[in-house]
Amino acid sequence: MTALAPELTDLQAVVEEVWSTFVGYEHPLCPRQVPPGTPLDASVWSGAVSVTGEWQGAVTVELADDVAQAISRVMLDLGDAETLADDDVADAVGELVNMIGGNVKSLMPGPSSLSLPAVAAGRAVFPSDAHEVARLDLTWTGEPVRITVHCPGSPR
Amino acid sequence: MVSASEAFAAVSALTRRETGMIYDEGKEYLVEARLQPLATKAGCSFADYVTKILADPIERAKAMDALTINETSWFRDNAPYQAFTDVMLPDLLQARAATRRLRIWSAASSSGQEAYSIAMLLDQHLPPGWTSEIVASDYSPTMLDRVRAGRYSQVEMNRGLPATLLVKYFSRVGSEWEVAPHLRDMVTLRSQNLTAPFTGLGTFDLILLRNVLIYFEKDVRHDILRRMLPMLNPGGYFLIGSSETTLDSPPALAAAWQREQIGRVQVHRVAPALADRPTAPIAASLTGA
Amino acid sequence: MRALIIDDSRAMRSILRRIVNGLGFESAEAGDGQQALDVLESGFNPDICLIDWNMPVMDGYTFITKVRDNPEWRSMTLMMVTTESEQKQIVRALAAGAHEYVIKPFTPDAIADKLELLGLRATEVPA
Repeated sequence: MTALAPELTDLQAVVEEVWSTFVGYEHPLCPRQVPPGTPLDASVWSGAVSVTGEWQGAVTVELADDVAQAISRVMLDLGDAETLADDDVADAVGELVNMIGGNVKSLMPGPSSLSLPAVAAGRAVFPSDAHEVARLDLTWTGEPVRITVHCPGSPR
Repeated sequence: MVSASEAFAAVSALTRRETGMIYDEGKEYLVEARLQPLATKAGCSFADYVTKILADPIERAKAMDALTINETSWFRDNAPYQAFTDVMLPDLLQARAATRRLRIWSAASSSGQEAYSIAMLLDQHLPPGWTSEIVASDYSPTMLDRVRAGRYSQVEMNRGLPATLLVKYFSRVGSEWEVAPHLRDMVTLRSQNLTAPFTGLGTFDLILLRNVLIYFEKDVRHDILRRMLPMLNPGGYFLIGSSETTLDSPPALAAAWQREQIGRVQVHRVAPALADRPTAPIAASLTGA
Repeated sequence: MRALIIDDSRAMRSILRRIVNGLGFESAEAGDGQQALDVLESGFNPDICLIDWNMPVMDGYTFITKVRDNPEWRSMTLMMVTTESEQKQIVRALAAGAHEYVIKPFTPDAIADKLELLGLRATEVPA
């Protein structure tokens, strides 16, 4: 069985809309060409939400440290001189993945419900019984940003 | 190498010549905000992009398209739509009881929010047995395509559209929302440069030309106001933006438009002295005013 | 005019606070529905609540039903501001008593437009 996946163009539209609205237009999100399976080599923050119901899946956002910190400062309105705690970054990354995940949920057949976000400093861990159905590799200010959608079950 | 101010002056002159719209000094940020994405796409700096559009007609058309886009929202400013439902529509229903048909013109439709906002109101308030046509016109082919598609992003949907109407008239298609087919069927599309003659459009019971005149030079503005007079059916309404006025027009033209207040909204109608006479010669007699 | 901002994310509360304060509203904040009820009990008495859907402890939908059950809070305007955008869920929130609905992501203009639509306008914008 092949799990239903969101269209990449729709996923891209969702991510760009969330990004431009809350992070700004000043620096664009650019595509990043990497072969499938390439790990993120930078030090990253990751956030995930899961969707359960008519459609089941998980949406994950992984951001290079610098990106996570920069967007947290924008969202929390903190100046460069103000201290940014890990807690602040976790909060902002959580809200980012909540917005992206919520909109991905609406791309898929409903009804379904969205979990609260789980955020960690470090790479995202995926359960072994899940497989990737969509992935967007991007850069922002030259640093990597990755959005993945996983569904339960093995591919095909 | 072109300086930023030279580049702006060149774009400003080009836009004025091609579309009649003015971008005064101080609007540099707006020009840059609208052209920068195109420059990035073309892979060059803003200044180089300006040089490019002066030489390349296809790129120039794209730039003009981007510069004539009008920002818009659903039920923009709200009060004019309230006035339409409460006063103008009941009045028109009486006035047109014989034909039971209303024609409405969204004369600078942009991405279509104005035309579809009116369509939603007509769908709710037009009595059974009546027909209507909403003509949406714009200079920009990109915008006309958008009205035709009737699809809007999440961010656009949030702008002023009451949630009850969102769930009633739209459905989700991928990351966008699509307007109901029966609303789309109410809207006819026309390509129309406002500085060109209004031919083959017919006449209307309501014309909306909101927040557009401000972009034109005075003479062009007056010319448009003059040519709008014969486009209105007797007893019809003409709506311009709340910051726009017909009062700075030459006396004959200012007198031809009669101002009426409906709550917070000022509407324009053809002055009775003029409305009594046949429409075509009036336009001609005012042309030289 | 007073606004109560209810969202579990401090970043989102900060964004909404800047928008409503910019429109001249006084604001208070709560991190979930239960905290929001506590703020109301303490007598803050807002003209409008901006309510997230997915929150720990008590979600926004439950908060709306609780507010609607209490006649004292009848005049309060309730607006969902949430990433939940399934059409059926929007209908459900409106049926439960939400007056308006804003889907994340939104621009500051979207909040201003909706407040205008609801007839909520601060008389004075503080300098």
